[in-house]
Amino acid sequence: MLLSLDHIYKWVTTGGRRTFLLNDLSLKVEEGEFISIMGPSGSGKSTLLNVIGMLDGFQEGAYKFMDETIHHMKEKHRSKLYKEYIGFVFQQYHLIDELTVYENIETPLLYKKVKSSERKALVGDMLDRFNIVGKQDLFPNQLSGGQQQLIGIARALISKPKLILADEPTGNLNSKQSDEIMQLFKQLNEEDGVTIIQATHAESNAAYASRIINLLDGSITKT
Amino acid sequence: MFKNHIKIAWRNLLKNKSSFFLNCGGLAIGMASCILIAIYVWDELSYDRFYDNADNIARVVLRGNVNGEELKEAVVAAPIAKTFKEDLPQVKDATRLSKVYNPVIRYNNTSFENIKAAYVDPNFFDVFDLKFLKGDTKSPFENPNSVVLTSSEAKKYFGNENPIGKRITIPELEVDLEVTAILQDMPHNTHLQMDVFIPMHHNERANSNLWVTSGFATYLLLEPEIQLSAVENQIPALMKKYMGEQVQQAIGISYEEFQKNNNIGLFLQPLTAIHLHSDFAPNTEISASGDIKYVYIFSAIAIFMLLIACINFMNLATATATKRSREVGIRKVLGSAKKQLITQFLTESFMTTLFAILLAVGLIALVLPYFNSLAEKELKLLNLVSLKSVLLLLCFVVLVSLFSGAYPAFVLSSFKPLLAIKNKISASGKRNNLRSGMVVFQFVISASLILATIVVDKQMQFIQHKKLGYDKEQVIVLRDAYKMGSTKVQSYKKELLKNPNIASVSQSAYVPAGETDDHLRGIFKNNEYLRKFFFYDVDEDYIATLGLELIEGRNFSSELKNEANKAIINEEAAKILDLSDHPIGKTFKRAADPENEEFTVIGVIKNFHFKSLHHEIDPLVLAYNPYGGLILKTKNANIATVLNFAEDKWSNFNENEDFSYSFLDEAFSQTYSKEQQMGTILSIFTLLTIFVACLGLFGLITFATEQRFKEIGIRKVLGANVSEIVGMLAKDFIKLIFIAFLIAFPMGYYFMHQWLQDFAYRINLNVWQFLMAAIITLAIALITISFKSIKAALRNPVKSLRTE
Repeated sequence: MLLSLDHIYKWVTTGGRRTFLLNDLSLKVEEGEFISIMGPSGSGKSTLLNVIGMLDGFQEGAYKFMDETIHHMKEKHRSKLYKEYIGFVFQQYHLIDELTVYENIETPLLYKKVKSSERKALVGDMLDRFNIVGKQDLFPNQLSGGQQQLIGIARALISKPKLILADEPTGNLNSKQSDEIMQLFKQLNEEDGVTIIQATHAESNAAYASRIINLLDGSITKT
Repeated sequence: MFKNHIKIAWRNLLKNKSSFFLNCGGLAIGMASCILIAIYVWDELSYDRFYDNADNIARVVLRGNVNGEELKEAVVAAPIAKTFKEDLPQVKDATRLSKVYNPVIRYNNTSFENIKAAYVDPNFFDVFDLKFLKGDTKSPFENPNSVVLTSSEAKKYFGNENPIGKRITIPELEVDLEVTAILQDMPHNTHLQMDVFIPMHHNERANSNLWVTSGFATYLLLEPEIQLSAVENQIPALMKKYMGEQVQQAIGISYEEFQKNNNIGLFLQPLTAIHLHSDFAPNTEISASGDIKYVYIFSAIAIFMLLIACINFMNLATATATKRSREVGIRKVLGSAKKQLITQFLTESFMTTLFAILLAVGLIALVLPYFNSLAEKELKLLNLVSLKSVLLLLCFVVLVSLFSGAYPAFVLSSFKPLLAIKNKISASGKRNNLRSGMVVFQFVISASLILATIVVDKQMQFIQHKKLGYDKEQVIVLRDAYKMGSTKVQSYKKELLKNPNIASVSQSAYVPAGETDDHLRGIFKNNEYLRKFFFYDVDEDYIATLGLELIEGRNFSSELKNEANKAIINEEAAKILDLSDHPIGKTFKRAADPENEEFTVIGVIKNFHFKSLHHEIDPLVLAYNPYGGLILKTKNANIATVLNFAEDKWSNFNENEDFSYSFLDEAFSQTYSKEQQMGTILSIFTLLTIFVACLGLFGLITFATEQRFKEIGIRKVLGANVSEIVGMLAKDFIKLIFIAFLIAFPMGYYFMHQWLQDFAYRINLNVWQFLMAAIITLAIALITISFKSIKAALRNPVKSLRTE
């Protein structure tokens, strides 16, 4: 089992009243799964992804990732863990504007202190695989949205994560681009065995997944 | 990794050119000023430290108070060196130096003047290890008629010939002197600025055992690790032992009684303190000294400027943090540790600082000549380039970049990734307060400096326009006329008076400003010692030429043959002599050898400032004894024609000497050159400081307008006009500036009050000076603010609203 969430509660207090973002949420994810999280705006999709990605905490409950208990961990330890095993893909791509395509993809390796020669090989492979060798010296603002998201995914994959968390990865893309990205996810999941959890609005995207989770007001409604 | 940091830093610099230039420019100016001042301060502090014995040498100085007259002299009596060496066990050696006044040196029928010559004891070069280049370097004074020269002085006399063994003539001495050794030129950073060293025995007063006269700079070489106070404690006993009898003889009272009313003491001053910590009468000093006060003032300015520049960097960096927050968020999500982000931001500040220092070095190269002439230094950039200075510079860069970059780096890197990525980091709150605090600090400094500049300027104006009691305009001083000899001077004077443009001519070597003879003598009344008075030897035209006001009695007259022991005194002298009612005809005595001379008062002149305005007016006696050069008072005529005339006639009387002259009013301003110089430097650095502070303000207001871009748009749509928008943007900053005034002005009042105490005649601090400082500061700040905010206010609101 890759991760398990056990009776997670997360809330914010406004005007003395608790608003639950996650409400008694339990979830188990096996390695190699492709999960879509669906639900209306404000249902807690992003919050759930952030909790899984260890970018955000929660008030009650237990979270185990690869048999390690996360919620008691120190920040430093936790960031080491997600650095190692999790890749993120964002709706707004979140590429670094000052860096070229090549450098953007390279950045996670720098933080993992991968050697220069090895870095070159890994990034080169990734560029090849995504067919973007010709674009490696361009800056993000010179690319279309679909291409940017492609770079975003390449960047997420470069450190060979076990889990990719994608928050509305196609939210800013047209349907054709959207389909391409989903195909890519499916391929990654099936061929490389990467576990993928994506949050999405669209039924069509959700369908690519092996499991769909519906979220409403911070709770899972049906599996 | 590091390469990546540099790359990112570089691209970020390119992307934010304007804030980069603000930072870089501010830092460059701050660092350049700081380095320049550091060089200056370093040089000032280095005085007399290069001697091997520097830490063990002390100068004997005299301080005391005689009948209300303060004595501060850097020279003491002849026997003191010998006595101290014999009687005090801590004194290893003692040596003396006494200046030769206006020496002339002849060699091969050529006369040389303006020479810095001194009599020194034979052991002088044992105490002060000056470097010999040639000759008898072991005992240059073995031959009693020897002389030691510095190498450039020797070159002046002998050209490229070998100076050793050459003989020079000094008219005052009966024998010729043989050059026995050549010294390396004196380093500029020693107070012993002498070029010619003559054995002490040629000075006839050197062997005197009188403790009541003085004239010898006396240096003690102490055993290592000796406390000066331990030596000083033994001095009073010695003074009593040796001076007692002499005091009794000279002024007729016992030593104890004398000390009861007067309190004279000998003290020790460390050699290394001489340059910066001397307040002795200038005519007793070997060379003009510096002032520790200015070292402090300039150091403070340097540090403040640098601080202001660093604050700019911090403020701009934290203010624009929101812009970078997304990047920080992404990097954190991609796995960057906090440490790595900190290094990244520090790299950026390091690069900015590196650019700034290059710019600063360029700036320094550019302004060094001006700085040298301002600070009267001869610093050269090339001399400063060394491995050590480059390393120091690098340390400086690292320190400055750490100082200015650490806080922003810490702030930026501690953003929570989730918030950062969503751009939810606000620029307000605690950090905003800190930023406000720093702006306040910058303007405290700026406003204080502006206030200081205004006060210094006002005081300088006050001095220039102060009624001095004499007329300094249109007065020409021909000081060197004395060289043609007394009779010729008289004839020359008569010639000059034929010119209708010359109102009067007086023969005297005494002028109230500029180079002058100086003459202080002890005064007795009813055979009781009073104190020292200044004596000016003048002729009957002196009062008219300088426009002095005779308030009682008569002037000297050349017809009356018996004017020798007559005196015209100033009001101060009359007061001290207690002659207020009927001074005319009263007498007093002047200390002389072997018997005191009696003077009869024939007139009283109104007090005039015959010394600088730093001092109260001292008692003065005009005595009839025409000698020296000439002083000319012209009528409202073209000065140039008068000068031509005077030069023309001059050559009739003196073919050998060139015509030379000075203007009294110019000499007068020269007297305050130190303050003028300080005023100029102060205003320059004030300007720079304000400029740098305004760069920061400009950066912040730029940021504020960007941040409130949308708000401005909405307000405009709702009907706000340009001035309302500008007012809204300016309000926050104006508030801070007013807070700055609250701190700056009490501080400024205190310090400027202190500074003014240096002048016996000074302006009062008043509200207007403060108001003016406030208005100037506000105006500069407002101009800076409106520059950007008007542009923001004029923008079409549709644009800002469309960005959503």
